[in-house]
Amino acid sequence: MSRGRCNRLVRAAWTALIGACLLLPLAGCVTNTVQQVREANTSLASGDSVVVLGRRTRPSASETELDFISCVAKNLGGGADAIRTIPEPEFLDALFPWFEPRTAPANSDDVPGLMQQPALAARLSEIGLRYLVWVDGSTQRTEQTGSLTCSVTGAGGGCFGFLTWENDSSYEATVWDVRTGRSVGKISSDAVGTSYMPAVVLPVPIIAPVRSSACDTLGDQLKVFLQGET
Amino acid sequence: MSSPTGSRWHRNSATPTLYRHGRRFGLAIMVLAGLAGCGATRVSVPATFPAPLVDKLPLHVGVRLDEALTSYKLHDKPEQGTEIEIEVGAAQTALFSTLLNGMFTQSSVVTEAATGVDAVLVPSIQELQFSTPEITKTDYFEVWIRYRMQLYRPDNTLIAEWPLTAYGQANARNYSMQGDQPALQAAALAACRDAMTFFIVQFRTIPAVEAWLRDPTAAAGAPPA
Repeated sequence: MSRGRCNRLVRAAWTALIGACLLLPLAGCVTNTVQQVREANTSLASGDSVVVLGRRTRPSASETELDFISCVAKNLGGGADAIRTIPEPEFLDALFPWFEPRTAPANSDDVPGLMQQPALAARLSEIGLRYLVWVDGSTQRTEQTGSLTCSVTGAGGGCFGFLTWENDSSYEATVWDVRTGRSVGKISSDAVGTSYMPAVVLPVPIIAPVRSSACDTLGDQLKVFLQGET
Repeated sequence: MSSPTGSRWHRNSATPTLYRHGRRFGLAIMVLAGLAGCGATRVSVPATFPAPLVDKLPLHVGVRLDEALTSYKLHDKPEQGTEIEIEVGAAQTALFSTLLNGMFTQSSVVTEAATGVDAVLVPSIQELQFSTPEITKTDYFEVWIRYRMQLYRPDNTLIAEWPLTAYGQANARNYSMQGDQPALQAAALAACRDAMTFFIVQFRTIPAVEAWLRDPTAAAGAPPA
């Protein structure tokens, strides 16, 4: 086989391999658990809105990820039976400084006290806020094994090895009714999944979408919960 | 996509030198990119703050911002990690203007000789500290700003003086693909927002301020807090 033909074959093989990696939707398996505790009835009238906030007590060792909060809010505000959801940064600015880490109510009993402030009560009524959803929790890597080595030489590069890791998402949403100043329920969403990355020349990541799965589950369950269907 | 020089990067017998140069150029780019990651982290706080949602006090309060405050920056090289520069001074005018505008029916930025105001606030930054995940072995960038607040009557007698320590943190995991800069900036911005929050919460509870608020026209005489 001529050198030029050999080079063309090698290039074609590389292209095919890279294409396969990009096109194949490789995803690991995720196990989800969702639990709900209802303490009071819920319902949403037209014009009512909801906000999803991350708990940011300080100093904190496990602050909820910003993209998880926005993911849950996006799920609530999208799809069928969408709920009017105020984005967290917009809410924090509109109610500044009453939901900052230094001033945010620690429990639902503090809400009636906050509502004593005329300016705050007027703003909450203006935006039609009915429910506050506090999200606590985070995603942690709980286990990691294997090894993967990559090297680059003048003639090219490549990786060899096998990596595996387990991610564990654990989140809890507490729902407060702003009008009654009471906690109306809690929903927890847990997800566990193992990701793999085998590598023979090219690494092929098989990622378990643990956090996005926990977000989808929590968002879907919150939507059902807030509309009072269960 | 083609370019006039695009063919230079292909290996062929006619252009071996160009190919070698191309490889060296690529290597140099990689080395430079690596070095860029080792450079200093410089952040400045964006000068945009939300208006406080509080019941306004019926007073005209001025704020005097000296150059030491409006040009305040910290430049430090911690034992662990790279050089860090945090510039908070440029945001102080917006911070205090927004704060006082939200707290009082009238507010203005004043110079040394202030007339037509009920009081003049003179803030200053005593110290700024930070920590990074490399230092604390946590996921957080943290920023502390220690202010000193002084409130004067228009005749330049002191009404009250008090310290205010603001704190901000940002989880590095929220910015994991963007380097240190946005996380450190978020922590510095959070500290500035906390300074506003703490000022609002604390202001009416300071005994000397409380006494002055009961009778803003009373002459000096009471000792400062």
